[in-house]
Amino acid sequence: MTEPEAPLLEFHAIPMPGSAAGMFALSVMRHETVVVVGDENSGVDSLVEFALGLESPAAGTVATFSTDLRTLSRREQLAFRRRLGYLPAGDGLLSNLSLRDNVRLPLRFGSNFKTDEIEGRVDVILAMLRLNRVAQERPAQANEEQRRRAALGRALAFDPELVLLEQPFVGLTDRASAELLEIARGGETGEGGRRTVFITGQDIPMLLRNRVERVVHLADSRHLLTRP
Amino acid sequence: MGAPIAAIGRSAARRLTRTGGLARFTFEAFRAIFSLPGAGRPVAGRLLLNQLRFTAVEAVGLVTLLSGIFSFLVISMAVRELGRVGAYDLIGRLIVIIIVRQLGPILTALAVVGRSGTAITAELATNTVLREVRALEGMGIDPNHYLVLPRLLGCIISVTILTVLFDVVALLAGFLAAGTQGMSGSRYIGSVLASLDSTDVWVTLGKGVLSGLVIGIWASYHGLAVRRGPTEIPQAVIRSTVGAIVMIFVVSALFVVVQ
Repeated sequence: MTEPEAPLLEFHAIPMPGSAAGMFALSVMRHETVVVVGDENSGVDSLVEFALGLESPAAGTVATFSTDLRTLSRREQLAFRRRLGYLPAGDGLLSNLSLRDNVRLPLRFGSNFKTDEIEGRVDVILAMLRLNRVAQERPAQANEEQRRRAALGRALAFDPELVLLEQPFVGLTDRASAELLEIARGGETGEGGRRTVFITGQDIPMLLRNRVERVVHLADSRHLLTRP
Repeated sequence: MGAPIAAIGRSAARRLTRTGGLARFTFEAFRAIFSLPGAGRPVAGRLLLNQLRFTAVEAVGLVTLLSGIFSFLVISMAVRELGRVGAYDLIGRLIVIIIVRQLGPILTALAVVGRSGTAITAELATNTVLREVRALEGMGIDPNHYLVLPRLLGCIISVTILTVLFDVVALLAGFLAAGTQGMSGSRYIGSVLASLDSTDVWVTLGKGVLSGLVIGIWASYHGLAVRRGPTEIPQAVIRSTVGAIVMIFVVSALFVVVQ
């Protein structure tokens, strides 16, 4: 008999102001796409930062790949985060770099790939996100959808198994949101399956609700939707 | 009675906290030199070159102009007054002590604070407000490696080079100034060379390095310390500029005490 697989991301007994029970708990299993929605003051925006070890919850534990990032040294934390894809709220693109350079940055700074390999990988990502035409533009010269695409490209640069997205659909059309979600999930990863995607935000477009496995509402810990 | 004492206590606590924060920030920034990952070195190197271009190369004209005008005025007046009392030979000593050792490093550092320190603070504060710094950390890139280290090293190298440039231009401007006041060129050169020794070189370089360090640390620390939003950016620029200016004078005073 095989042991049940450990969740890729697990929140346990996290105090949250917006949670009805006062505590938040959630497990995200491999290949799942889970969305947590909540009001602006619900604390939903902190969940991804907890998962990345950028912030620590007041109590409880957060395990990413079964690891509590608080137990790691700063250098180990930084190395660990390169295994994850992160799209922060508001894009977080570096404003003095072109969209292409933004996508290239994590590969250049955090990998030992040769320049040719990096450029090839960036070309593929830009083509996948249909950003070739505006790749040399700075974020301020691109529109919101293009910036979000570039931020997603940067998050996927290392082809991570787990992708964390903060408010990824704000200001986008349903069609663009659906496309970004599909790209984030990916068809294949290094292990041959879909990526695991964890999304937080204040809402999720109706069109996407039947494309994700679970939508959890933080206010009452109610699973708005659970798909097998 | 209690309220003023409490206010003084709060102010002192704030200053102590800031001083502790600056000390810790300085330590972390220098530790970043040794923890910079191999893959990140070419990127950090390119950022350093950019910083040198902005802080040193593009400031050459300003520093040359400042040094040329200031030194010409000061030295021509000094030569005239010393000539009246027949003390031409003191001109070299005066130039070395006043300009090479004291005013050169201070004025150069002030020019860099005004030109680059403010820009670094505003840029890093904007990066922070736009959550770019948080995004870097989330991607596994240490902001100390990507943002602070190139700017800090850029400031140290730039201020040191520009201080030497200031002094060289000052001595050349002094040559012209002495000539206009009737002092022979050979006498001027002889007086200056007789007054210069290796200590002056080390003092100039030491002040340049420490002033550059102060500018880089103050500008980066206050830029990254912004928390509340865009309205805090001008306040951060003011805090870093005033703090750096005060510390530049403190550095200069320390050299006088130590010498």
